[in-house]
Amino acid sequence: MAVHQSTRPTIAANDRRPAPRRWVGTALLTLLAAVIGVAFLLPAVWMLLGSLRPGSEVIGSVSPLSWRTLVPDTWTLDNYGALFGQLGFGRSLANSLLVALVSVLLGLALSVPAAYALTVLRFPGREGVFALLVVGFMVPFEAIAIPMAQLFTQWHLDNTYVGLILPGIGNGLAIFNLRQFFRGVPSSLREAAIVDGAGEFRIMTRLYVPLSTTALINSALLIFLGQWSAYLWPLLLVSDQEKQVAAIAIARTFSDTEFNFGQMFGGALLISVVPAVLLLLLQRYFATSIASSGEKG
Amino acid sequence: MSAEAPEGTRRAAAQERSGASSAGAPSSRPGRRPGRGRDLRTAVLFLGPALAAIVLLRLVPFAGAAWSTLFERVGVGLLAEQRFAGFANYQQLLSDPLFLGTLWRTIAFNLVINPVQIALAMAISVLLVQRLPGRGLWRVFVFVPCTVPLVGSSVAWGVALRQDGPVNGILTALGLAPQPFFTSPQQALASIALVASWIGIGYWMLFLIGGLNDVNRELYEAASLDGAGRWRTFTSVTVPMMKRPLLFVLVADTVANFVLFVPVQLLTNGGPDQSTTMLMFDAYRRTYTYSQPNLGATAILILTLIMLAIVAVQFRLLKEED
Repeated sequence: MAVHQSTRPTIAANDRRPAPRRWVGTALLTLLAAVIGVAFLLPAVWMLLGSLRPGSEVIGSVSPLSWRTLVPDTWTLDNYGALFGQLGFGRSLANSLLVALVSVLLGLALSVPAAYALTVLRFPGREGVFALLVVGFMVPFEAIAIPMAQLFTQWHLDNTYVGLILPGIGNGLAIFNLRQFFRGVPSSLREAAIVDGAGEFRIMTRLYVPLSTTALINSALLIFLGQWSAYLWPLLLVSDQEKQVAAIAIARTFSDTEFNFGQMFGGALLISVVPAVLLLLLQRYFATSIASSGEKG
Repeated sequence: MSAEAPEGTRRAAAQERSGASSAGAPSSRPGRRPGRGRDLRTAVLFLGPALAAIVLLRLVPFAGAAWSTLFERVGVGLLAEQRFAGFANYQQLLSDPLFLGTLWRTIAFNLVINPVQIALAMAISVLLVQRLPGRGLWRVFVFVPCTVPLVGSSVAWGVALRQDGPVNGILTALGLAPQPFFTSPQQALASIALVASWIGIGYWMLFLIGGLNDVNRELYEAASLDGAGRWRTFTSVTVPMMKRPLLFVLVADTVANFVLFVPVQLLTNGGPDQSTTMLMFDAYRRTYTYSQPNLGATAILILTLIMLAIVAVQFRLLKEED
């Protein structure tokens, strides 16, 4: 121990072990990691392959259990054909996309100025307003969805896109993260801009927003994913098939055509594609700003 | 300062002018910033949409729900009228063993599922930050399910855990007895937990790996120099350094799971024997299936108050990170 300390002071713990034991340890850990990884992935693969076989074979192939349970012997795109054809799933996907995208735009238009005002302006009750917005919007709107759906129906917003969009535009974490980022912008920059005669709106859009793309992308993702996976709200608010979002359309397949699992799996995978692409592309924006922000700031 | 924006001008112009006015005297600022009035006006303008949203989308529905808990519905269908009932709804709910069972089940479910999910996410995160062959690939594998929305996970496990589904197929092939899963009062809630955890664990792992990567490398080196083994390093370095991210994801997970609804509504309808009825579903069923909107609102109010308490904790955790 003491010898190591004096001769190689920065060597990590692993390197002190005898080589063969370390090799075995790494192999065992790798095996464990692989088993866990495959266990998580397998149901998704099973769904993907199930959507590419005739619907009845999803259960029909279970007994006897063989590799054919997973891998189809007949490959077909019929399930996707039915989804985009008679089931009108394309329309539902488009609705989901429209609702989520407009929610992101409105949500940012609402959160960015709010976060900006709460960062740079001094006015009485500022911290109170901040707490109200963040806490209020952090309570998931599912909790209040039922009374809100009754209100929205009174306001004739049921079966409308506006009704679907509005509850998703407020996001407490988005406002919190944006303010957190804005606070990191040196106030000398703003003072210089004021000297140059810039108004608050200009300072916000030309100075703070370009410097905070990480927080903006993160907020956009939070709002988008919240709306994309919303279920209870569209269930309560929308009965018109034409306006319905994809999550509910899938649930409907689940109860209507109880036995065509191929179509259901296809639908479930289709609504996963958009979040998958977004999350895989924008992963680092998503994870950095929440849990670990304090460690860095 | 004398050029403080006059009333009645257009807002944008007022902003520009007052901005310029403070530009004229930037040095005349002894501690107090110029233009408190201007700040207030800008604040109203910038915060207006957010405040309007919180009032319309949170406070008004909440107040409406709170108000309606004080009434009861008399009669049926279109002839029903609302009659003031004081706290009768609360009395009725809180003396109803079924509701108390629901409340207790919701809390117990959360006391189990959230720590378990976070502990598993943490264990997997720690494993997948080690330098192992194919590390990136295993991470992506664990991460893939969390791109599946809850409704997709419900569909997948709803089929996988059927009596004649592949999970029972595997159990049978291993010589074990097939299990009833969603159709058994003993197993249904655990099956619901599985639906949520398949997508939840990878999601929280994402945040925890971010936190683990931020832990100072030198601390690990110091621990290894002190002769600490893997377990000792984990308990004395990793866990204390990860306290905040861990607490945060634990609370955020609780917020999400407290209103867990999709798998219950889609797969079990609260059954069998109420074994999967939790607060959110209970409020939904009272309002829409049993046509007891006032009792439903009372359940909603109780749920929302609990959520507020949890979110307040979450907010404090966030603020502490400042």
